[in-house]
Amino acid sequence: MNIESIDFQSFLDWDNSPFILFDNQSKILYLNNSAEILFGYVSKKELYDLALAYAPPSFGHKTTTLSLNYDSFMFYAITVGYENEEQISIRFYNAPRIKSSIPMERDKLVSTNINLLLEANIALFKTKNTNTLQLLADHDLPSFKIDQNAFSKLLRKTLNAFRSSDSIRITLKLLIGEHVVISGKKKAIVQLSIDANGRYNDEDEEIRSLATKSHITSLLKESSIKLEIPLIE
Amino acid sequence: MMFFSSYKVFKMEQFFTNSEQIQNIIKGFNLTKTLFVSSIIIGEPNIGKKSLARYLFPNAPLVSGKNQVEVEKLLTEVDELIITDFERLSNQESLNFDNKRIIATANYMGNQQIIDNIFAFIYTLPSLKERPDDTDYLRNLFVKEAQSTLMIEENTISIADIPINLSDNSKTMKKTIYTYLIKHSMNNKDIQEAIYYYILENLSGNNGYKEHIELYEKPLIEAGLRKYGSQLQLSQILGINRNTLRKKIHEHRID
Repeated sequence: MNIESIDFQSFLDWDNSPFILFDNQSKILYLNNSAEILFGYVSKKELYDLALAYAPPSFGHKTTTLSLNYDSFMFYAITVGYENEEQISIRFYNAPRIKSSIPMERDKLVSTNINLLLEANIALFKTKNTNTLQLLADHDLPSFKIDQNAFSKLLRKTLNAFRSSDSIRITLKLLIGEHVVISGKKKAIVQLSIDANGRYNDEDEEIRSLATKSHITSLLKESSIKLEIPLIE
Repeated sequence: MMFFSSYKVFKMEQFFTNSEQIQNIIKGFNLTKTLFVSSIIIGEPNIGKKSLARYLFPNAPLVSGKNQVEVEKLLTEVDELIITDFERLSNQESLNFDNKRIIATANYMGNQQIIDNIFAFIYTLPSLKERPDDTDYLRNLFVKEAQSTLMIEENTISIADIPINLSDNSKTMKKTIYTYLIKHSMNNKDIQEAIYYYILENLSGNNGYKEHIELYEKPLIEAGLRKYGSQLQLSQILGINRNTLRKKIHEHRID
């Protein structure tokens, strides 16, 4: 079979690693599905500049190991290549995600209105701090199962990271169209997002570890923390 | 202003506070009242930690951390428990609070790491010194209670004159009020009896008269000077020589 007659594009389309082809004016000529999602978190210019910065000195392909982080995307390497003056490609290698091996302790999970725990933790926060908080919560969220004590601890630590921040904004919402797979079952995700003008990071390790124990994905950034909580019914 | 009251068998439980910090603590507890979380209230002795826990959870069994065996036993039997004097427990780390509603109180944090690990909610109750409004309220409450216990007529005392002693929070405050009221309501016979028992206990040696006469002379001169201002006038009121008075002032080291 003549290999040239095979259409490789669909393989590239569905590759889990983002792939982008730019022209020399930074216009996107092609991007795969994974790259499309990536563009929700990073600008076109930033990725084009990245491609130029890591391009090989002359025609060809060069792979560089580096640690890149865009929201929940984590990459450990990129390959930049060009075979003519018109097009340049960049491919990102997904860093392996450590799969939680912690079994879910079902007997500790109690159906809970998460808003209660959030508001109680805000009340606790207010006994120690006078900063103003803005809370945007979805009160129609269904009750779901969590370990109330462990989750409260996580909330306390998370809020505590904002103990001397200004313009603290807390949002609690259901992430539309995103899912997480736990014990082979698809679960909806509830996202708690807190951002401010800055924050402490002294307890980040503990926040990560508490989140992992509860099967919660934590995204800790310079001035924000996001917790993605599986909605277990 | 917030005034809370709840009914407990035979007894009305009340918790008064004007402190915003405590109102937030109460709010936090009320929101988690039905959830299985562990909370601790930390603060100086005698500032109302136990009363607050009792007020919020009127039906929960209550056990002191001084009684470790009982704490362990109750933890296997109930799913809602108030543990006071938590700092007295030496086995804090091994306690199993899973799927239980625990309300603990402690005079101090102790091992911060352990407290941080086992409790979801860690509240700090401000001392009475930080709560002037609550202090005024408590003073009125204690004065009323003391007047009724000591059977003293209400209108004979000006509450504002009673000193507030917060060195040990509500404990010293209460004690100061009771002693003040007793001192201010004694009659001639009470005072004689008080001196009688004091002397019965303390009289000894070979100079007893001189040693104990100050019980009478010192307050007499001090009160006299305050009331009449000058030594000259006081000597006339007392009907003694001015030099004798001056000598006694010097003897008793009165300023």
